Amino acid sequence: MTRSPEDKTFTVGLWLLLVSVPLGLTLEALHALKVQVYLASALRRELWTLAHAHGNLLGILCLVLASIATRCWPDAGARAFVLRYLRLAAILMPLGFFAGGVLNYEGDPSYGIVLVPIGALFLVIALLRAVLTRSRSDASA
Amino acid sequence: MTLSSHLPMRLLAILAMAAAPVTVVLALGYCHDPVEHESERALIHRQDDYVGSAACASCHPDQHASWARTFHRTMTQRAEPQNVVGAFDGRSVELFGQRARPHRDGARFLLDLPTAGDGVRTAEVALAVGSRRYQQYFEKIERPDGECFQRLPLLWHVGAQRWMHLNGVFLEPDDDNWSKHASIWNENCIFCHNTGARPGIVDLTTRADPSRRAYDSHVGELGIACEACHGPGGAHARAQQDPLARYAAHQQGVATDIVHPGKLDHERSTALCGQCHGQRLPSPHERIAAWLQTGPTFRPGNRLVEHVEPLSRDTPSLTEDHPTLFADRFWGDGTARLTAYELQGVTQSPCYARGQLACSSCHVMHGGDPRGMIEDELRGDRACTQCHAAIGNDVAAHTKHAVGSTGSQCLDCHMPRTVFGILSIHRSHRIEVPDPRRDGEAGRPHACTLCHADRTLAWSAQAMDRWWGGGKGRYQAPAQRPDGVALDVPDALASLLAGDAVQRAVYADALGQAGVAVATRDGAALRVALIATLFDAYPSIRYLAAQSLSRLEAEAPAPMRAAIAAFDHTAPAAVREAHSHTLFQEFAAHAAPRFGAASSPIVRADFTPAMDVIVALLNKQSGRVIAIGE
Repeated sequence: MTRSPEDKTFTVGLWLLLVSVPLGLTLEALHALKVQVYLASALRRELWTLAHAHGNLLGILCLVLASIATRCWPDAGARAFVLRYLRLAAILMPLGFFAGGVLNYEGDPSYGIVLVPIGALFLVIALLRAVLTRSRSDASA
Repeated sequence: MTLSSHLPMRLLAILAMAAAPVTVVLALGYCHDPVEHESERALIHRQDDYVGSAACASCHPDQHASWARTFHRTMTQRAEPQNVVGAFDGRSVELFGQRARPHRDGARFLLDLPTAGDGVRTAEVALAVGSRRYQQYFEKIERPDGECFQRLPLLWHVGAQRWMHLNGVFLEPDDDNWSKHASIWNENCIFCHNTGARPGIVDLTTRADPSRRAYDSHVGELGIACEACHGPGGAHARAQQDPLARYAAHQQGVATDIVHPGKLDHERSTALCGQCHGQRLPSPHERIAAWLQTGPTFRPGNRLVEHVEPLSRDTPSLTEDHPTLFADRFWGDGTARLTAYELQGVTQSPCYARGQLACSSCHVMHGGDPRGMIEDELRGDRACTQCHAAIGNDVAAHTKHAVGSTGSQCLDCHMPRTVFGILSIHRSHRIEVPDPRRDGEAGRPHACTLCHADRTLAWSAQAMDRWWGGGKGRYQAPAQRPDGVALDVPDALASLLAGDAVQRAVYADALGQAGVAVATRDGAALRVALIATLFDAYPSIRYLAAQSLSRLEAEAPAPMRAAIAAFDHTAPAAVREAHSHTLFQEFAAHAAPRFGAASSPIVRADFTPAMDVIVALLNKQSGRVIAIGE
């Protein structure tokens, strides 16, 4: 049985939250325990905090858009397109931020950071298509 | 649905929740650790519980940032592009008749230096010491049992933005030996320009032969870092990893496993700075050998006098070749006259002896302008009036000088500029009341005549007695001067021309200060005296005199200004002397409309120098050579 784009996006949102919320707890624990290898690198702290924040916010965005997609974008093709790129962005961006802080050296993130602009591009594409499709729907109504 | 059909999903959910913590832990195992990275670099040790400032930064980011702005942090640095301030631009510089060429090869800093027989060798800079007023450079030298760092002969003067030779910046007569100051970092600078120094002389028996000395030197951190004042931080860092311990410490108000300078009494607080800003010997002296291997034993929170003996005028010299080695560093009454003796000055002050004065009464490590490390609200008179509030309420009533004038500023009378540092004169840290008799008989610059350069000490004694002595003879003129100059010669002129090297340096600088031009009636005499000082045998005194002349003559006719700017204190003697004679002529040619009638015994009516009087004063110089490095 083929799952609908809304169903897939909702599931991705849930899983993203399931990973990102414990990540936040973990980062707090690193602060509490003064884990030097984390705290002494300002860049790592920033990147992992961004990974936590993007994971949560994009997870919530997935849940919200999956819930209202059918009502907002009647065109199934456009809806599938928007949600596919949203899912990709929601996975790539937090992953990129996290990976960027793993093998970073002083002021520069590791190569994993390249996933972030790719994910951001997907997010922009998804939002652009969503806005354009919505505008056409409004015009034809 | 049965429970078993849910199980894989539940497992997946649990695995998802565990994914982040597990991945973080695994990732941290592979991560670059800045603290560990620093501890593994050359020269660094983590013995004696030193952990380095990066370990402090994770919990104290603001304090780390405020410290990182200071020149203490940059006191010793590796020769890396972001640390080197000198112009290694490939242009040759000629100093004392020889040429050197600082240049770069990518990230390497190189110095082409002359060798015996007109050869040239290239030295690669390994360490840079200093960054505020000047930066000195050291090359690494390999020896059979280890490596050491030897000082190169040129330094970069930050204020002047030019290269200078070490022979021309210390207080010593001209010397043709271009490599005279090739001292070893491992047994000199390491102690006070780093944190947690361990010089590690491998075999003390080789000390007699400098070419065989070998070192296994390490420091807790290059430069003056957190642990220099707070003590080794290992125990504190370990204990404070426990959040319960941290909150317990917060409840108590202070952690007991680290030194908080603000909680120390004024003696122990002053000792933190005094461990370096107070030249000293290990106490007892037998500890010297241990120092040269494992470093100083003083730790923050200790009483300094239980570890060291601060040098004084009476400290016996360590060498028969130089019996006045330590005495030269003090005025005749025991007041320090060099920088890095601030501890001696402070502890001799009544504010310390009878009050609670500490270095931290005026200075801060984590705020204010890094130049001087004083908060804005404690600049100027406020440093004193925070305690002496009644004087602050009516400054002019106390100073008898116009409010805002130089003579009305607390520091100019009670902490006058009488201390020689490298090519600059600093404030004395012995806070006290000027006394013309004491100062004159000790051969020590007197606060009043540092401004009133055309006045005698007898004049100062009369004025002081009238104003602050109630006319009861509390302030007296000296019975005689150490240099034997007649007491009716203005003190500044006598000290500048007939004093010893430190006196001459102090007055060479003083005569160019803004207050002197206002307080002194005969401006022509100031200029003639300073031009005469350009003949001095000490290059650093010539430099100070030229700087003062330049300030005084900022508005002079163009030929005079050009002649002053062209004076090179490191040029060959014949060139310098010809240049100085030209300056005398230029001055005389343009002086009449500027100064009216000359009234000083050292200036003739036509504004040419009264060489007979000047030479008579110069002949009063004792001839005793003073040679003071740092």
